[in-house]
Amino acid sequence: MPDVNITVDGKKVTAPAGTLLIEACKTVGIEVPAFCYYPGLSLQGACRMCLVKVEKMPKLQTACTTVISEGMAVTTDHEEIHQARKSMVELLLGNHPLDCPVCDAGGECELQDMTFSYGASESKYTEAKNHKEEQQWSPVVFFDRPRCILCYRCVRVCDEAMDVAALGIQNRGSGSVIAPNMGDHLDCEECGMCIDICPVGALTSGAYRYKTRPWEMNHVATACTHCGDGCKTTLGVRRSETGMEIVRGDNRDKSGPNGDFLCVKGRYAFDFANRTDRLTQPLVRRNGKLVPVTWDEALTYVGQKLAEIRSQSGGASMGVIGSNRTTNEENYLLQKFARVVLQTNNIDHQRTADFAAFAAALAGRPDATASAREVFDAPAILLIGNDPTEQHPLLAYQIRNNVRLHKARLYVVNSESVKLRRQATLFSQIPSGSEAAFAAFLAGGDVANGANRDEWNALRDQLRKETGLVIAFGSELRGASIASLNKFALSVQGAKLICLADYANSRGAADMGVYPDLLPGYVPLIQGSKFKAEWGTLPDAAGLTLPGMVDAAKSCKLKALLVVGANPVFRMKLDPATFANSFLVVQDLFLSETAAVADVVLPAASAYEKSGTFTNTYGDVQLVKQAGEITGTKSDFEIIVRIAERMGYDVAKLVPFGSGSRADMGQSRGAQSGEADRHAVWLEAQGLELKMNPFDPTAVFDEIQRLVPGYQVSRLNLMAGNDQHTRLDQNGGGAVGDPALIQPANDGLFSSGSTGRYSKTLNTVMENRNRVEMPKVAAD
Amino acid sequence: MSVIKDISEVAKGMGITFMEMFQPTVVENYPDGPGIFKGAKFQERFRGMHVLQRDENGLEKCVACFLCAAACPSNCIYIEAAENTAEKRVSGAERYAEVYNIDYNRCIFCGYCVEACPTDAITHGHGFEVATFNVGALVYRKEQLLAIKPAQMGDNAVFNKQEMETQRVLPG
Amino acid sequence: MTFSPEFEQRFTEMLTHYPSKRSVLVPTLLYAQDEVGYLSDEAITEIAQRLQLTELDVRNVISYYSMLTTKPRGKYNVQVCTNIACILRGADDLWEHCQKKFGLRHKQTTPDGQFSIEEVECIGACSWAPAMQVNYDFHENLTKDKFDTILDGYKKKA
Repeated sequence: MPDVNITVDGKKVTAPAGTLLIEACKTVGIEVPAFCYYPGLSLQGACRMCLVKVEKMPKLQTACTTVISEGMAVTTDHEEIHQARKSMVELLLGNHPLDCPVCDAGGECELQDMTFSYGASESKYTEAKNHKEEQQWSPVVFFDRPRCILCYRCVRVCDEAMDVAALGIQNRGSGSVIAPNMGDHLDCEECGMCIDICPVGALTSGAYRYKTRPWEMNHVATACTHCGDGCKTTLGVRRSETGMEIVRGDNRDKSGPNGDFLCVKGRYAFDFANRTDRLTQPLVRRNGKLVPVTWDEALTYVGQKLAEIRSQSGGASMGVIGSNRTTNEENYLLQKFARVVLQTNNIDHQRTADFAAFAAALAGRPDATASAREVFDAPAILLIGNDPTEQHPLLAYQIRNNVRLHKARLYVVNSESVKLRRQATLFSQIPSGSEAAFAAFLAGGDVANGANRDEWNALRDQLRKETGLVIAFGSELRGASIASLNKFALSVQGAKLICLADYANSRGAADMGVYPDLLPGYVPLIQGSKFKAEWGTLPDAAGLTLPGMVDAAKSCKLKALLVVGANPVFRMKLDPATFANSFLVVQDLFLSETAAVADVVLPAASAYEKSGTFTNTYGDVQLVKQAGEITGTKSDFEIIVRIAERMGYDVAKLVPFGSGSRADMGQSRGAQSGEADRHAVWLEAQGLELKMNPFDPTAVFDEIQRLVPGYQVSRLNLMAGNDQHTRLDQNGGGAVGDPALIQPANDGLFSSGSTGRYSKTLNTVMENRNRVEMPKVAAD
Repeated sequence: MSVIKDISEVAKGMGITFMEMFQPTVVENYPDGPGIFKGAKFQERFRGMHVLQRDENGLEKCVACFLCAAACPSNCIYIEAAENTAEKRVSGAERYAEVYNIDYNRCIFCGYCVEACPTDAITHGHGFEVATFNVGALVYRKEQLLAIKPAQMGDNAVFNKQEMETQRVLPG
Repeated sequence: MTFSPEFEQRFTEMLTHYPSKRSVLVPTLLYAQDEVGYLSDEAITEIAQRLQLTELDVRNVISYYSMLTTKPRGKYNVQVCTNIACILRGADDLWEHCQKKFGLRHKQTTPDGQFSIEEVECIGACSWAPAMQVNYDFHENLTKDKFDTILDGYKKKA
């Protein structure tokens, strides 16, 4: 677009044609206040706060709806404008209750800020304010009508960004009121975007109401622990009797791939961590009953027992089940522990997508994966299988808004009439189970049954014309189908792929080699010379898969099993007596079905209570920071290291701590001491920081960056809280597991595996699951 | 002359001394004085131990807005907020302070909290005898800081509210 | 729910007038209201489905326009204009008289469901102020007596 030159307060501004005046002002650091204007949403022009003087225009103009034009001369600082803003604030405060001390928004309220910056100190209005009782619209959404300033942000975000349209405006003029779709309550996705976007305290969150105040909390930006999208969430934490309690989740700083978007899980389902029935003491089975013991006792017992079994029956009689929600460092450490300390390759996790096949298919094309951010900018998207609205809310959000704002073309191929069809340029409903056939067709095959022939041919031709196509596929496609899809992707210029898995670190578990036949970075066992050089001898034969271990346990061949953050008894619907003859050690948050039959249960910290990194399903690695704290728990990382130590293993070989060098150049003392932090960050980023203890996950991350192909991301950017896209680099592309091992959890918006089961909020909003069928075409 | 001058100077000085002998004493007879303050005298605006006030219905004025804690330069106020329910109503607004602690180890009696309070809930009283042998005892809880309930509502009140009202409707 | 054949005919025809379906909403609502007397929940659901809108969308529009109602009105809806021209010519007295005559207030309906009264903004009959509208019929140059005679006429019809 050609550039347009304008003058704002005497400053020259050049911006592309079509830029809004308010945005143009922002580029030169001139703030124009506004309530109703929100970047990315449609224009409203309701609040009249952004009035500016434009030369040769008779009246003040709204900067949020005025498009810049050549030679425009704008004044934003003028007595007339000050007066207008003052009057606007006064009018807004006409019926706005002054209950700021009680209001949840107090301290982060835009109306407070505006009144402070632009408002008058007194009001002409002496009339009594018109009070209306607060309404509860859903378990998590409360509406306080008098506080509403009618900016309609909530209505627009619900309609446009979320495509839910659960909020409307009734009546008109000053009598307008925000109304929920079911008359007195909401039936929606409960994402809480309306609460988040509300500039005042009119919409408040049921989870956070009246608990604390914004400045009383510490804010920790970390990755969400629920689905595989890896949204960044900023958790508000405060002191509690048991350590640190998480009281709020949002992403107001708009960092991370999700911007300010969060779904119901990211925003409210942190509450599983605060539950009172969390395990806080190790349990050991004595005389058939689990009794609480000290950490020392439990760890010594586990260490002795595992060492005993190893020396008696060998490593092949032991198994390890890894997790989809432990950090990369923990997954890496766990498989290293299994291979090096237990001397077994019997390690697996619940696979929800066929990443092994994905990595094998993409061998030699390290940059063929798309990041979460790229979905928002891609000119075209092909979605095969999966229902992102339910399973990958961020993906759905990115796709929806890409279509809305950038006019991207969306092609949806699904066996269900998924909601994203409303945004699709082309929606093809295929028979359930024929996704693989479709992938084979795309790769150049022919349609087996002639029914869809013309439609599929047209779709394929159209797709081949696209450039920069992003192809996202669900767990319906596995093994050879992924290879066919990759073959098709090669025929489309600049096409990139996304493999969708269910949990927060499913991709991480796969990348870190929690596989019986693959080492970290999908390196086949036989090609693991690099790892052998560092770790010493490794067992050569491929180990047992998850069902294999269960079978071995049933036939009494599995003498010991370590389960970290998984619940196979519940997930695989096993008979609880399956592991009766194995020494079963479980590390978990709650006394799950598997933990209930264990010999030793070790209370683990949740992902919100430890640090490390997560890799989302797109391959973006993000920092996980400790927010909450529950006294008595230990991170899985620490537990694994301590077990290894009790087994008599030199932990320095497991966790490469003690390396690095530290040069204190005086910055930690005296007047320059503020520099010390930055200095430490630099050292850490360069890998020079001394890792002082074996429980430091960054020591393992050093090793990951050294040994795992594709993880050589910028450490500095990662530590600054940015998501970094990894590459599927130099992977072996040899061994590929059995596609039948893939067991998607099919969690929806209101469920999230085992953590979701323990979330009170998720369980209270479950009633609202019966969604009203939406019309086929989205209103533009 | 100089002798006379010297004597007059001494007389002048002693005069003040003798005059003061007939003035009332300015020494406060604390703690042996009369009354509940044991002889201590206060300026009206003396900033002593805090009192958490109640409204006319006996409900706590504090709505747990945390502004006092935010204003406190020595960071000695600790609050935990909770929501009022229909069954358990503690304050006049939606929220109340479930826990309200002031750590008198740290408090410097600056009065910023009183100034910050939007509901006039926290005020300075005249209490100043905080000395103790136990630092732990210097953390005062809400129960210790709260003002007594209005006479008609107090636990040991002579009249309860109902009696007060029946008395009011009686003729005369 | 089902509408009359006339309604259906109009509706089908209107759909061809506009590029998008939702544009037909306001006229459809007016015709539906004329037919049913008010916009019942049933009617709202039906119209929302036909135009591929959410019920909330339809309700938003209904609540915006004062001539659309979701509550039953009397058979004869007496709308007295009290806008500037009419009020200068004594519309406020007339409105008072109207309220007294029926014993009703603004937007209320007689118990027998025959009459409802409403104070409305300009109905475009300023040249003949004060004016009122009973359903779609205009009555102009009103006085209290004339008002009574007109309404008696309606009462006889009722």
